This record gives sequence, structure tokens and C-alpha cells, in this order.
Amino acid sequence: MIILALDALDLNQVQKFNCKNLMQKEYGQTDLSDFNQLRTVALWASFLTGKNMEKEIPIKTQWEFKVSPEQTFLKFFKTYETTDVPAFSLKQQNHAEERKLLKGYFEDKATIEEYDVAIWRNHEENKKDFFKTVGKFDLVMGYFNLADAIGHLSFGITEKMAEVYNELDKMAEEIKNSDSFVLVISDHGMKAVGRYGDHSRNGFYSFNKKLGLNLPRITSFYSPIRRIAENEYS
Amino acid sequence: MDNYLQQLEKKSIAMIREAKAQFKNPAVLWSTGKDSTATVWLCKKAFFGKVPFPVIHIDTSYKFPEIYEFRNKIAKEWNLNLIIAKNEKALEKGVSPEKGRLKCCTELKTEALKNLIKERKFDALILAIRRDEHGIRAKERYYSPRDENFRWNYKDQQAELWDLYVKPSEDFTHMRVHPILHWTELEVWQYVVQEKLPVNPLYFAKNGKRYRSLGCMPCTVPIPSTASTIDEIVQEIKTSKIPERAGRSQDKEKAYMMQKLRSLGYM
Repeated sequence: MIILALDALDLNQVQKFNCKNLMQKEYGQTDLSDFNQLRTVALWASFLTGKNMEKEIPIKTQWEFKVSPEQTFLKFFKTYETTDVPAFSLKQQNHAEERKLLKGYFEDKATIEEYDVAIWRNHEENKKDFFKTVGKFDLVMGYFNLADAIGHLSFGITEKMAEVYNELDKMAEEIKNSDSFVLVISDHGMKAVGRYGDHSRNGFYSFNKKLGLNLPRITSFYSPIRRIAENEYS
Repeated sequence: MDNYLQQLEKKSIAMIREAKAQFKNPAVLWSTGKDSTATVWLCKKAFFGKVPFPVIHIDTSYKFPEIYEFRNKIAKEWNLNLIIAKNEKALEKGVSPEKGRLKCCTELKTEALKNLIKERKFDALILAIRRDEHGIRAKERYYSPRDENFRWNYKDQQAELWDLYVKPSEDFTHMRVHPILHWTELEVWQYVVQEKLPVNPLYFAKNGKRYRSLGCMPCTVPIPSTASTIDEIVQEIKTSKIPERAGRSQDKEKAYMMQKLRSLGYM
């Protein structure tokens, strides 16, 4: 099974930029109404564990927060590999660098261009790491924050966002014919505040088979993933 | 045949007269910057030398001394009915940029204006915003209704065809009227030259730097420039690739987003 975890992938944008590969056989919006704040780490931890983890993850130390494999659906797979997954295998150094540049931008110490360069460089690194794992484990999960990171500073700039969505769609295209179960999932969507982007409740999911889900919560994927592990990879 | 600036001026003057005719109690906002000074001048021209409604200056108390000096001089020379909007209560409470730029802007600018509108019952405000200033301003209409919280729903705006500016039927607290929305920064400067308008000295380069957009002292930085006359400024703008508001760090969207990202734990 392949899970493409795409931070801030927004249903409206997927449709706007006509990302045909991201819109698999079944796709739609996720229901995030049981979360007070749409925080990246809390949402991914909840996705992995099937439980709303919002209250258990303090804002200040969220980036270092980790769940154990036993708490997650990963334990149902004999072999798995994850790339840069928040609350699990986040590449601390890369993300610390990104956050430093983001802060720098707001303090007039860094430019958007410098920030974008770092985001794209880290994305390329993750992409390489992730595609090395595809086909070699029962479950591979790769996390990519391109839409979130670029979106926060440039969501209102259509050319930039088109480039981001095009890139993510190409990644989905590459794994399309892998003869595996493919879940594309985002933690939340994004809406424009002028040129900037703010987290929205318009999250996205898609699956390359019919799951029959309707407005699933981010915690609702735990059971179907478990079923797939037990039926297909046991 | 009118020159291009005369055409721009005609359209703006028509809009100002329309606003005066359509609304009971309009006023014009004046920051003393080039755009709003040109707009006040247009109001003056539209009514043959006398601006027939109040001119509002929002005083955050953090403005440059040159701004206050310029304001008082021109208000006297042009015989303006100047009203100063100041949120004294917030200033007493110690609101300042150091304690949060977004709060500072909201309290000292937005709230100050809200209070004044309520007190004086203004139903239309003439503002000197331009579409080329900023991405979000490109979405503005000439007539832009605001509710009591100053909210602007840019996704639900009426079309303004054939220069018809119709008041919307829904309730709104006040209408914003934007007579120079279609002008560019360059055209404003060319108009300043043509009309021989007074210019705030902050716009001219001193020691290799000048202000291209005027705001409050703590949140405005000068840009590198050697343009010390209006002609040199015009030449500079013709070739510059730096956005006009690059020196304005108190951009509300930016401040809002910084606060938001901080609350989400990104910073």
C-alpha cells in the first residue's frame, strides 16, 4: 500500500488545477469538524492512530512529538517505511530550517525566494527518498509539505500554486500504475488571505479503489487501512 | 482631445460628484501621501476650489513629524474642514507596534475610524486606493460597501458596467468610494507634476534613501534611491521592479498571517 500524505492539499485547488492523478477512483473532502485548531502534527498523529490527538499534543513541543508504531496502523503491516512523516519520522533539521526562514520572512530577515528555494530543495530530497521505498515494503508512506509551505506565503499567486499542484499531481501519476492500494490524503485544506494562505477545513482524500466513504474524518482511515493490511498483506 | 491624465481626472471627478450627490454625509480620507493628496485635490477641483465635505486624517500618533507639518500647512492653504481621528483610549492603554503590529493597526487605525464614523454618521468615505498597489486591491470596485465591522466581501460584488456606480440594495454601514482606483503610481506622480501639487518631503531621497509609500514611523522603511526631484521619481518608477509598498511592513495581511502561524506553532 502507498500513502501519499500531502500537507494542505485542498479539494478546491485539486479541482481548479485539474489534477487528474490526484483525483483517483474515489475522492472527496474530509470532515475536520472535531478539531478546534487545524494543526499539522496533531492532524497527522490522529490520522496515524485513528484517535483525535489534538489535546495530547502541546503546541510548543509539537514538532518533536512522536507516536510509537504500536499506536498506529503501521503495526498491521509486516514491513513498512515512512518518509518525513510528522509525529513519526519528521526530518527535524529540514523543518527547523524551513520554520527559521518563515520566521525570518516575517521579521524582514529572509525573502520569500530564499524560503521557496529551501522548501523545493527539501521536497526534492524527500521525493528521492520516498520513491526509493516504493515497491520494497508492504506499506510506504511519504509526507510532502510543498502545498502547505509554499501556500502559506504565496497562496494568492496562481502561477506558484499551479506549479506546486502540478508537481504533486505528477507524483501521483508516477505511482498510479504501481498495482498497489494508493491513498492520497491531506491534513487540511488552504484558503487565501490576500497573497497568504490560511489552513481551511477543505481537506482532501482519494483512493484508487471504491471505499464508499462519505465525508470521512481523518481518524476514519485507520480501520480501512487495517483491513487492507490484514486482508492483502498478511 | 484631452490628454490621458485629463481623461483619468475627468472620470475621477465625475465619481466624486456622484458620491456627493448620492450620499448624505460623505468624507474623504487623507494620509498626506501623494495618492490621497491628489484625491483631496480632485475633490477640490470637482467643487470649484472648496472641498464640500470633511477631510479625515487618521492620527496613530506614530506618524512622521513631516506628515503632521505637511498636513497642517496644506489644510490651512486649501481651507480644508480637517477632522482628526485618534483612538485616545487605546493610546492611553499603551497600544504600540512593539506590543503587536496587527493589534496596533487595528486599534489605532481601524477602530479610530470606526469610532469617528459612528460619531459623525458618515455614510460614504472617499479613499485613494489604487488597483496596482497591491494584489487584493486589484479586486476592488469603485463603490465598495462595508458593514459595521468594515468587512468587505470581495467574492460578492456588483459589476460596474458603463461607469454606472449603483448603491447596493442590501444594508451597509458605509460605502467606500475609490475615485483613483484605475490610476497607476506613475500616473499619480505625472498628475502631481501637471497640477503642481505639494509633495511631502519624505518622498525625496536623502542620503541615498527615500520613502515610496508613507505609513507610521516604526513600520515604514525607506527604499534605496537617489531620486530627489519629482522628475527623478518618475524616471525611477518607470524602471523600478520593486513593488511600491515594499517598505511597508505593517501590511495587515502579513501581520495577520504572522499571528496565525504563530498560533499554529510554526514560529
